Amino acid sequence: MTKKLNELTIIEALKGLKAKEFTSVDLTRACFDQIEKYDGVINAYVTLVKENALNDAEKADLLINSHGPEIFDEKPLLGIPYACKDNYSTKGIETTASSNILKDYFPPFESTVTQKLKDAGAILLGKTNLDAFAHGASTENSDFYTTKNPWDPTKVPGGSSGGSGAAVISDMCVFAMGSDTGGSIRCPASWCGVTGLKPTYGRVSRYGLAAMASSTDCPGPMTKTVEDAAYVLQVIAGKDVHDATSAPERVPDYKKSITEFDIKKLKVGRPHSYFDIGMQPGVAEKVNAAVETFKKLGATIVDIDLIDPKYAIAVYTIIQRSEVSSNLARLDGIRYGHTRDAFGFEAKKRIMLGTYALSAGYYDQYYAKAQKVRTLLIEDFNKAFDKVDLIIGPTMPNVAVPIGSVNSSPIFGELTDMMQLPGSMSGLPVIAIPCGQSDNLPVGVQLIGQKFNESVVFGAAAAFQQATTYHVVKPNLEELL
Amino acid sequence: MVTGIWSLKLLSYSLMITKEDVIKIAELAKLDISGQEELFASLFSQTIDYIQILEELNTKTTPETYQVTGLTNVFQQGEENRAPLTKEEVLQNAKEVTKGLIATKGVFDRD
Repeated sequence: MTKKLNELTIIEALKGLKAKEFTSVDLTRACFDQIEKYDGVINAYVTLVKENALNDAEKADLLINSHGPEIFDEKPLLGIPYACKDNYSTKGIETTASSNILKDYFPPFESTVTQKLKDAGAILLGKTNLDAFAHGASTENSDFYTTKNPWDPTKVPGGSSGGSGAAVISDMCVFAMGSDTGGSIRCPASWCGVTGLKPTYGRVSRYGLAAMASSTDCPGPMTKTVEDAAYVLQVIAGKDVHDATSAPERVPDYKKSITEFDIKKLKVGRPHSYFDIGMQPGVAEKVNAAVETFKKLGATIVDIDLIDPKYAIAVYTIIQRSEVSSNLARLDGIRYGHTRDAFGFEAKKRIMLGTYALSAGYYDQYYAKAQKVRTLLIEDFNKAFDKVDLIIGPTMPNVAVPIGSVNSSPIFGELTDMMQLPGSMSGLPVIAIPCGQSDNLPVGVQLIGQKFNESVVFGAAAAFQQATTYHVVKPNLEELL
Repeated sequence: MVTGIWSLKLLSYSLMITKEDVIKIAELAKLDISGQEELFASLFSQTIDYIQILEELNTKTTPETYQVTGLTNVFQQGEENRAPLTKEEVLQNAKEVTKGLIATKGVFDRD
């Protein structure tokens, strides 16, 4: 069956554009047709910029016509429509972080990531929903509305980049941008059944990304394939003068890292503590099968020990709340945005706990202690990486939960994102990819790599996708209507 | 179905955060939480109780990590990052602008 244009991957769409089988306007219109048909039910987007997008697509087509395929060397994403999480600053386009306090905020500047995508020729379709300020794992904390999981509209899509995850799996874009502080790309990637990459901390500039926990925030792509994720990272990675914490390390050729990858030399660590957490049986079955697939492909599986991720929950909770309280202090309602009364419940809760953790008399007990345990987590990973190249584990211990489950715990997001937190706190690159279904909902497996070694992560994940078809399974959206 | 992580025990409230604590923190954070003081106090106590598990780990000789990739003292090279915004752009979202400046409430003699 031939794919509709909006169903194409980046690599497929580029091939078609180069061969002039279709235009960027055709591709962009196909995405909007899909959005107009299904987003009334799914609610993935909070803002659409159709007129801008079609104008940009027309310009892309003119460039392709006048310069020929060589133009793609200069503009590697020319004419490719994408969705962007609404916590990236987009000049002149409303940027709300799905919060009432930033409603009607039109930023005067562009984030580095969206600028790089624009320079590469990508077409912005619109901004996607998130838990307000990225505080959550379901989009239920959005001040606007909850995004529905396209596999089952009674379930959450995961979060906080839930709008982006839902947009990718329902083909309402060719790819999307998310951001990940404690699992916000990997959780919705897992629950929606798409590929999500959290790069190494500092690999991608945070400039213009609404700051949540500055020592941990990572912008990253959510895509239909690993190859696409590598392609996007190639465009957005690198040192940025606007972000002092962006890394000066050389950006390797990620395409080569996939084509030249030899899985027979790969040693994959299987941590007991990641597999003994009481996964849902259906999830355990699929994740164990994914380990077997790597074995069959020729990788060596090594049993390793890692610190129980329950400690990372506590580290993350303290550090994230503390940095949130500091970052959201800038929202004073004077220079931009509405007054602080407009903060939602979750933001207030996090700001207050962080204020408490940082206050005199408690700093050493909480914040400093958490930063010390963070060192233990990093040392623990370093020790493991002496023996293995990658670490495998479940992305989430369960499949997508019903809408309304969030209120079960004040640290709901942290408990569900438990498997993501050690990697987040240690700044490591992690990819989440689909590895099957349980109860008709997607299951994800994650691969954690060494700092700045996205190449191995991509190589292994792409080898898995070449050998399996889990990433091409799509929900039946007709049933939503 | 609820399994695994959901059964992680939140310890009983060993460290109580009081309503007064919460009111003080809200004032420091400039947030209005009127009517929800008890709720915040209870949620805080649960969260603080959970994070006590860090005490199980010995960190006597462990240093803190504030920056995971090891960057320190990053300075700007040359003039590559100068004033990216014009004055108009800086002011465009301000609540109140007077004589080309952002107006705020007085710092002294404020109600």
